[in-house]
Amino acid sequence: MKGLLVKDFKLMKGQKNFFLIIAAIAASTAFFSDDTSFFMGFLPFILSMFALSTISYDEFDNGNAFLFTLPISRTGYTIEKYCLALMFGGSAWIFATFLAVISNALKGTADIKEILISSLIILPILIVIQSLMIPFHLKFGGEKGRLALIGVFGIISVIGIAAIKVSEMLGVNIPDIINHISVLSMGVIVAIIVMAAVVILLISIKTSSSIMNHKEF
Amino acid sequence: MLKIEHLKKHYNNFSLNCSLEVHKGCVTGLVGQNGAGKSTTFKAVLGLVSAGSGSITVFGKDLKDFTPEDREDLGVVLADSGFSGYLTVNDIIPVLKNMYRHFDYTFFTEQVKKFHLPLDKKIKEFSTGMKAKLKVIVAVSHNARLLILDEPTAGLDVIARDELLEMLRNFMETDEERSILISSHISSDLETLCDDIYMIDNGQVVLHEDTDVLLGSYALLKVSEEQFNKLDQQFIVCSKKESYGYSCLTNQKQYYIENYPKIAIEKGTVDEVITMMVRGQKS
Repeated sequence: MKGLLVKDFKLMKGQKNFFLIIAAIAASTAFFSDDTSFFMGFLPFILSMFALSTISYDEFDNGNAFLFTLPISRTGYTIEKYCLALMFGGSAWIFATFLAVISNALKGTADIKEILISSLIILPILIVIQSLMIPFHLKFGGEKGRLALIGVFGIISVIGIAAIKVSEMLGVNIPDIINHISVLSMGVIVAIIVMAAVVILLISIKTSSSIMNHKEF
Repeated sequence: MLKIEHLKKHYNNFSLNCSLEVHKGCVTGLVGQNGAGKSTTFKAVLGLVSAGSGSITVFGKDLKDFTPEDREDLGVVLADSGFSGYLTVNDIIPVLKNMYRHFDYTFFTEQVKKFHLPLDKKIKEFSTGMKAKLKVIVAVSHNARLLILDEPTAGLDVIARDELLEMLRNFMETDEERSILISSHISSDLETLCDDIYMIDNGQVVLHEDTDVLLGSYALLKVSEEQFNKLDQQFIVCSKKESYGYSCLTNQKQYYIENYPKIAIEKGTVDEVITMMVRGQKS
């Protein structure tokens, strides 16, 4: 696992200019725009994608065949990719939250509680998106994986819109339900959502591991 | 060291059925045409493709029970795959250090220096020879017990090939318990390095012989049609129609030298044996 992490860090080192551009975009948005929620979401997602680009690097020139002759297991490889994505997405999430708090404190715009709530909402979304992206990347490879993922998001959106339409037709008022939920303690809701995201993450790891164990190189 | 028993693997228009064994302290060669099944055999041994049926045991252990720790005892070169081209030699040193408990840093850096491999250049910018050398250096630098080398000398010039073969000889001399399974298109590589050779054609092992026997007892008899009809076919492995009559592969050269002094007899080489085994008519 450590060897694989070292390899991925070395691969990503080659993209350090891209990394610097992203950091510059995030910092300038933080200090020159009033909307902090944009980079709070943007930074962790971009860095998770950045970590997952190592899957494409591994595939380059049939590199996976040699990689799996090294002393690693396929499950170990899968777990390493999740660790890497969580490590990068997680650090970017902490950094973005920290940056938002500082920029708002300097500008005196939004209150810190609001920032922390948006930050806590972003975390489970980040985990769920990673949980969807990684198995698709592993199953279909870098390029096709992205296309397949866009398809999945499209289907999810269609289902979501259809659900809203159906509920409207049935006379269920969704905003009312949401308002009712917000009466509950915010902490409890966030905890439930994060736990649900973790369950999705575990299912995703299991699926990815099975995908890798059945692959032939 | 390595034992493959009735390994079967089916693809749409190809099926492999292979049994072979690599003994302790031996270098075993695998030869055959392109698409004969060499790479599939290597990939099955390495667990890169699943075996349809049959068994593969490495160091006496079933491949299915192989752990990452067991893999540390293998040194591998694949013809069409290696470390990511985006890495440099300096990048792969810490990777190897963290992957192999017995990685020999001093040996590795000495070899890299000896073969003039650049430390900070991306591997994808290396020449074919440099890439091949790096692959072999990686395979021999962590005290492996078994090397599995698929076409390690492909695309190399004579000097580079010789240097690589020298590296493999040194690897074998360091520890008598070590073994190598190697495939190559260049038969002279195998003739000088291997103790025994398996020949594979269309997914089947068609010949297994000690290299000494292959070079010492095999020969090509070039005979006219008339001579062919009178020839004792007992020790003819296969024969092929030629413009002048027939060429026949024998595994008892001496018998024909003594009994048929008038026929032309050419010393057997791996190349000739392959050609005859693939194109010739079995007796």
